[in-house]
Order: sequence, then C-alpha cells, then structure tokens
Amino acid sequence: MKKKLLSIILAATMAATVLAGCGSSDSGNASGSGSAAADSSNGGATADTSNAGGSGDNTLTVWTWDPNFNIYSIREAEKIYQKENPDFKLEIVETPWEDMQTNLGTILGSGNLSQLPDILLMQDFAFQKYAITYPDMFTDLTASGIDFSTFGAGKVAESTVNGKNLGVPFDAGTEVACYRKDLLKDAGYTIDDLTDIDWDRFIEIGKDVKAKTGYSLFSTQAGSADFIMQLVQSAGGEIWKADGTPNFVGNDILIKSLETYKELFDTGVMATANDWDSYIATFTSGKTLGTINGCWIIASVQADENQSGLWGLTNMPKLTGVSSATNYSNQGGSTWVVTSNCKNVELASDFFAKTFAGSNELYDTILPGAGAISCWTPAAGSSVYSEPIAFFDGQAIYAEIADFGAKVPGFERGVYFTEANTALANVATNIVNGADIDAELKAAEDTVNFDMGN
Amino acid sequence: MTEKTKIAIQYIVLIFASLISVFPLVWMMIAATNRSVDVIAGKLTFGSRLFENYQNLIANQDIYRGFMNSVKYSVLQTVISILICSLAGYGFEVYHDKIKDGLMAVILMSMMIPFVALMIPLFRMFSGMGLLNSAVGFILPSLSTPFLIMLFRSAARSFPIDMIEAARIDGLSEFGIFFRMFIPTMRSTFAAALTVTFMNAWNNYIWPKVIMQDSKAQTLPMMISNLTSGYFTDYGALMLAVLITTLPTAILFLALQKNFAEGITGAVK
Amino acid sequence: MKQKIGLNQKRNLFGWVFLAPAVILIVVMSFVPAINAFITSFKTGNGADLHFAGLTNYLRIFKDAVFIQSVKNCFFYLIIQVPVMLVLALILASMLNNRKLRFKGIMRTCIFLPCATSLVAYSIIFRSLFAADGFVNLVATKLHILSEPYNFLAHPTSAKIVIIIALVWRWTGYNMVFYLAGLQNIEYSVYEAAKIDGASPLQTFFKITVPLLKPTILITAIMSTNGTLQLFDESVNLTNGGPSNQSITMSHYIYNQAFQGVPKFGYTSAMSFVILFLVAILALVQMKVGDKRD
Repeated sequence: MKKKLLSIILAATMAATVLAGCGSSDSGNASGSGSAAADSSNGGATADTSNAGGSGDNTLTVWTWDPNFNIYSIREAEKIYQKENPDFKLEIVETPWEDMQTNLGTILGSGNLSQLPDILLMQDFAFQKYAITYPDMFTDLTASGIDFSTFGAGKVAESTVNGKNLGVPFDAGTEVACYRKDLLKDAGYTIDDLTDIDWDRFIEIGKDVKAKTGYSLFSTQAGSADFIMQLVQSAGGEIWKADGTPNFVGNDILIKSLETYKELFDTGVMATANDWDSYIATFTSGKTLGTINGCWIIASVQADENQSGLWGLTNMPKLTGVSSATNYSNQGGSTWVVTSNCKNVELASDFFAKTFAGSNELYDTILPGAGAISCWTPAAGSSVYSEPIAFFDGQAIYAEIADFGAKVPGFERGVYFTEANTALANVATNIVNGADIDAELKAAEDTVNFDMGN
Repeated sequence: MTEKTKIAIQYIVLIFASLISVFPLVWMMIAATNRSVDVIAGKLTFGSRLFENYQNLIANQDIYRGFMNSVKYSVLQTVISILICSLAGYGFEVYHDKIKDGLMAVILMSMMIPFVALMIPLFRMFSGMGLLNSAVGFILPSLSTPFLIMLFRSAARSFPIDMIEAARIDGLSEFGIFFRMFIPTMRSTFAAALTVTFMNAWNNYIWPKVIMQDSKAQTLPMMISNLTSGYFTDYGALMLAVLITTLPTAILFLALQKNFAEGITGAVK
Repeated sequence: MKQKIGLNQKRNLFGWVFLAPAVILIVVMSFVPAINAFITSFKTGNGADLHFAGLTNYLRIFKDAVFIQSVKNCFFYLIIQVPVMLVLALILASMLNNRKLRFKGIMRTCIFLPCATSLVAYSIIFRSLFAADGFVNLVATKLHILSEPYNFLAHPTSAKIVIIIALVWRWTGYNMVFYLAGLQNIEYSVYEAAKIDGASPLQTFFKITVPLLKPTILITAIMSTNGTLQLFDESVNLTNGGPSNQSITMSHYIYNQAFQGVPKFGYTSAMSFVILFLVAILALVQMKVGDKRD
C-alpha cells in the first residue's frame, strides 16, 4: 500500500517530464511564446490579464481590500453607475493594503507602470509618500469634472499635491470614543461625564473606575504611535518643520501628548495590548470599558451581538493646558486613486463624479450597509445619518460622527509619515519604561533624519 | 537503566513533543467552531458556530476557487521541482568532479540573497518576458532550489556505487539507473522532499501575490491575508480558513510518513 | 579505478545533462536578478529616482543603528536556536527510528505538524500564550515561579526568547523529517550489531547515528543558518520587531525600508548583500567542516 502511493506520486513526477521540459526551456529561451505553451499545459486556466484592460473598453480594474467595507462600497457605486451605463463593469482584485504596498513598490521600482490597475484605494497616511516619490503613478483629476469643493477641505488636502487633486476622497477615520454604558453605570458615571472633557478629568474618572471595577477605561496597541499622532492632531499640532525635517525636540504639543500617554499608562487608566487581536479583545471581551480610535473601529465594537444596547459613543478628551486643544481627531481613512495607467480616464472620472462625488443614493446605501462615513458634504444632510442605532442604545451615532468630523483639525502627515510613526512608537515604548522624553525625542529625530538621508 | 525504563522515557518525550506540536491545530479546530469575539478572548472549548463561520467564510472569499488554485499551482510546482532537483542532486554526486563541486557551492549562494532584493529585478524580467499573470511566472522562481539539490546530492552519496556499476554492466542507461533504481531506493528522501516542497509551494505567498494580479488566480494564503485585511476581522471564519489551508499538507505527510518507517532500506541491501 | 578514467570523464560530461535544467533555472532566477540588485546597491535616491553614488549605501549601513541591532538579534537567534533545534530534531528522529516503539506514525505526524501550521494561526496562539494575561503567566504565577504576570513580548530579552521558542517549536519537526529520511539509508542491522557489542544508546547515537547522518546534518545546518539570518515571519508576526526594534531581524528591517516607508531600493539591496556575505561565510565554514567524501 505505502509503496503504491509513493510510486503513484513518483509516476506523476515522471509524467511531468514533458511539463518540466517546457518550464525549463522557458527560462532558457526567455521567449514570450513559452508562457502561452505553459498556459495551455495548465488547463488553460491561467489568468486573462486583468490589468491589460483587454476585457472591453468599459471595464476598469480596481485594487482594494475588505469585502465588507471598501469592496462593498465600490460595488454599490458600480451598481448605481450601471443604471445609466449598463455595460460598465469593475474588475476588482482584492489586495490587502500591506500587499498593495509590496505590489506598488515592485511595479514602481521596476519602472513598469503598465502593470498598475486603473483605480486603486490608498491609505491616507501613505498618500503623500507615493505622491512625492512616484508622481508618475497618478492621473491629475483637477480638471476631470469631479467637484472637489463638495468634500471636506481637510480630507481633500490629504490627496492634493501642489494644487493638483490626485485622488477622490472616500472614507474618513473621525476619532470616536465608545464606552460600555452598563459598566460605566456600575462605577457611577455616564457617557455625559466623559463628553467634552480633558485628559486630566479623564484620568481622574479613570482612576476612580479602576478602583471600583478593576477595569481600564480604554486600551492602545503597544509599539504603535497611532494614538500619539491622534493626540497631536487633536490639538492641531505638527510633527514636521517648515523645511520638511522632523519637529520632535521641543515640540510642546508632542511632548504634552507623550506625557499624557505616559500618565495614562502609569495610572492603569489605559491598558496596552501587544498586538491587534488582543487589542480588539480588550474591549469586546470587557477587559476595558471602551475604546478610543477612528470611527471604523465601530465594526469591531459591534462584533458581539450580546452587547447590543450597552454601548454609547462620544468625542475624545482633549489635551490639558494646550490652547489649541480640541476633542476631535482622526485615525485612518482612504482615498481612491486613478492611476496614470488608467485606460479610460474619462470613464473613471465620470464614474467617480456620479457616484462617490455625486450620489446621495450611494452614501445612503453604504452608511447603513458598511458603516462608511462619508467625506462628501452633501451626504451628511441625509436622513440616514439621523437613524437611531440599536447597538448604541438608539443613539444616532452617525450624525454625531459627521458632526465631529467637521471639527477635526488639519494634520500634515508628510512624506515620511511611516518613518516618523515608527520612531515615535519607539519613544512611546521607551518612556513608559522610564526613559527621558527629551532624550528619546532627540534620538527619534536623529533616526528620522537618518531615514531621510540627512 | 532497564530496557523498560528506556522505552518509557522515550514514550514520555515523544508524547510530550507530540502534544505540544499538535496543540495549535487543536486550537484552530476549536476556534473554527466559535464566535469571533470568543476566539480572541481565548475560549478553549468547542462552540456551535462552525456552520455560521463557514457561511461567513464563503460569503467573504471564494474558498473553493482558492483551494483549487492552490492545488493546481502546488502540484505543478512540486512535481517539476522534485524532478529537476533530484536529477541535479544525483548528477552533482554521481558524476562529481572539481568543477561540479565548485558549482554546487556557487549555487548554494543563490539562496542566501534575501528575496526582497531580487523581487524588483525579477519582476522587470518577468514582465519583459510576458510571464506576468501566468502559471509559469508563478512557479518559475521556486522550481530549482539549492536545498533540494543538496538533499538529493547527499542521498545519492549513500547510494552504493557498486549498484550503479552493476546496472551499467547490465546495460541500463544513465537515465535508466536514475529512474529505475535511484528513485525507488531513495523513496524516503523523495517522500521528505515531496512533503516539504508541497508545503512550501502551498504556502508560497509574496511572489505569487506580486505576479498574479488577477482575482481569479488567488490562492488560499492570499485569501487568508484578505480575511485579515479589513476594518473588522472575523476570527472564527479566519480560523476555519486557516484550518482548511493547513490540512492538505498534514494529510500528505500522514500518507507519506510510512516511507520514514524503519527498515525500508529497499534495494540498498 | 584508473583504467576507467576515460569512461568516467565521458560520463561526468554526460552528467551535465542531469544538472542543466536546475543550474540554468538558478542562474536565470537568482543570479541574473542578483547582479541587477548588486548594481542597484551602488545607487541612492528615493523611489524610482536612482543615481550612482559609489559605496554610499555600504558606508551608511555601519551608521544604521537599527540594522546593527538587527544583525545582533539575528546572531542571537542563530547561536541559540539552531543548535537546540537540530539536536532536538536528531534526538526525536532517532527515538522515532526505534523499532520497539508503537504509534510512531501518529507521533511523527504530530511532531511534523507545526511547520505546516499556518503562520496566521500560530502567531495568534503564541502571542496570546505569552501575553500578560496569557496561559504561560497564569501557570507561572500559580506555581509561584513568577510573583506577578510578566509581559514577555514587551521586554527585549524575553521577546527574543519567545521568538526562539516559536522557531524551535515550528521547525524541529521539519528538520526531523530529513533525519528520519536519512536514517532509512542506514541499515538497521548496524544498530543491532552495536547493541550486541554492548554499546549504550548514547554511544550508538554519537558513534553511529551522527556520523552516518553527517551529510543531512550539514544540509539542515546550512539551511537553518540561512533561514535564521533571513528570518522574517516571526519578527513581523510575533513581536513586530518590538519592543522598539529590540527583536527586529535583518530581513524584516529591509522589508520595512523597501516597502513600508519611502522606498530606498539602493540601500535595501546593499543590506541584502551584507546578509549574503554573512550567510556565505558561515556556510563556507560549515561546508569545510562537513562536506567531505570519506
């Protein structure tokens, strides 16, 4: 028996000799015809080249991720656009953001821009990086007929370079604070007590809650500077000097943010999780009373149907003693890009003009369908936004988020945002272990300068 | 120490190692039956959500297509790779001379360059050859590996030269000796090579993802990556997908492991 | 032997037919792009805007604190993990080669399983096992080994040890498979004879098993050395290089520099050749020690 199985497999190996011959001659001859031969040997199931735009003039290829959010949203947009253009079609290639960075790096690094899709979704924090480093990958949409004035100004700024609109804004990551109302009540507090407050008051309440219930108020992910960035943005702070070099040392808002972070950590008001999964677990399994993050976190907050009606939503605390401090910030968000390889820029522009930049119907669908908060100003007037949400005990959370979104201070992420984020994450890690803030900021600034080649 | 104690110690060590090794697989099975929130909360008992997780999984990803794609590419890659590398390993040893020994050392160097550095030149080359979005482009960079060549080279080293000589006198061709004598004799090595090559092909991720820009060509590892890419991750469905992805390699090993059983020295005797 | 030299030479020439497909593939798939990358390693600039700058990238490496840290980390992993793993694999393989034991098939499969286990699942498990409120802390505090829970992944040394444990767990069975396969080429009667001669199991292990498995041990040693110095998955998925780059590996850092931040392909190519250089030296040493025809 055992001999039989192995001999079958080995027989298959030998049978493939023909295939092998074909495969190795490919590499040897480097001929284009080799691929066709191998394709047929593979049962003809090999890819019809999706990004060659070969499947007809009205098909656009899109790279994006998340079937429950981005893919869902652009599919809905496709449906709406198809009403007037029945032969319009989107070919969506599901590509997680991390992989898209690898793909883009490889394609752009090899200089072979013809391998780009027609449209792709880009994380806002990376937009400037690509726009400055690879300006050739974008199509300038300034004169495309898309009315950019209908989007929030701060959001449009993320995808604008030298006055050119290089992207169509999609979702926002307006900062929200979600808390378990039942657990708060046990400790003697309500959502109102946590609304429009500063971090000093928050820590005061947090300590009390911790003493009474043993729970932290919220959590962050260790080894990430996202939360620090949220704090800096909430006070309208900056991390770059006018000449583009890092502005860490002596940056009062940044220092205040780091001090707040450390105090939150030291008092145990803020829990830290080592990784994303356990971060999500802190608030879904009731180890913390809530979470403070971009509004897309709501999808994870709502994961446990048994907690329906127990949650409440409000704004984040503001930095204490900073005159420009607000209770509003942003984490994440993304923007559609029409690449320079787009076969039909006119079609792509028209598609966006009539959907993401012009369709109330679209936003009325994807808000309840995916929780996608619009950056398109006219959509905020829709009645869908004031619908009460049962999970949040009937609170009209989307109207509130839209209201928060309008108050978020602008924030210059810069070309080297990822480098700055990594360096500041190390600062955050080290200061909670007792390192000196000023010395750490100096080291971080040196690191970023080094990364920038200065 | 009596014979019985020795046996007992061996049993204890092996059972302990087996339990530690198998724990994550069991955990995956448990997780695949639980709600997402329970998975990350660390629940260690079976739940009743297997069917819901399955429904969510197939609604999110075309797992069947991913499975078939993975099977297709992995089998293709494994079969060709083993053939090419066993021939080469055998050739390097049986026909060894100074040049070939030197070449082996040079070839070994090819695995020491991080793939990250090769990706961009390879991509440029493949797009020049028109191999993007093709099965050939998918498997080509991983077909010939120094590791497999070395493995078969060392197997060939324990393949008695007398046998080769005898076969030559019997009039068997050089290829005849390889296919009719070396392969059957070295089936434990072939079984080991088959398992790990299949496993590597099955889990191959970065290069396929870069070269296959087609939603119809997505493999299981790509789909698992898709499942973790969103604003919200359904860990129950994810673990089911991970389980489905892990099982084929495990089953293949289970089927082939008899070839590692003691005493099959086959024709070597 | 001598009178056959003419024939042997002819055969050795024919041997190239066996090698050709594999060698051509490696040359085209590895060496051609490697030369390309080597040229790139002398260029600097961001993104696609690259220009020649001599040895700038290579000099920059010596000033890069994170890269130097990553080299140290990789060698730390290498020195501890590779010997532990290979010895463990050898022991398990020789135990599983014992005819007197039963249920070997299932135990072999179990011990092989970790390397087939998806990275996604196993990294979630390891992270949660070693979390501050995880299983390891629970047991350690219950048994009073630790007075209070310790966040293993938040401290440099313990984070590195978690990575080593994970590596040993994942790859021991993988290496064991090759030893098992290699052991089949040793006739069992050799063991029987040794036993009749009164050799202890330890003597049998060192006098018979290890010498006869030498070629296989050499391969696994070179492979593990290479694998550890190019370690990527565990650094990304278990610790994300943290806390503050204290557990980051060279490949992880190179990947970050190439694809996460502003791309620096010249610099990443230069770092890649440093890895090649380090692995090649170690492999050369291992080959000198282990690759002799007796």
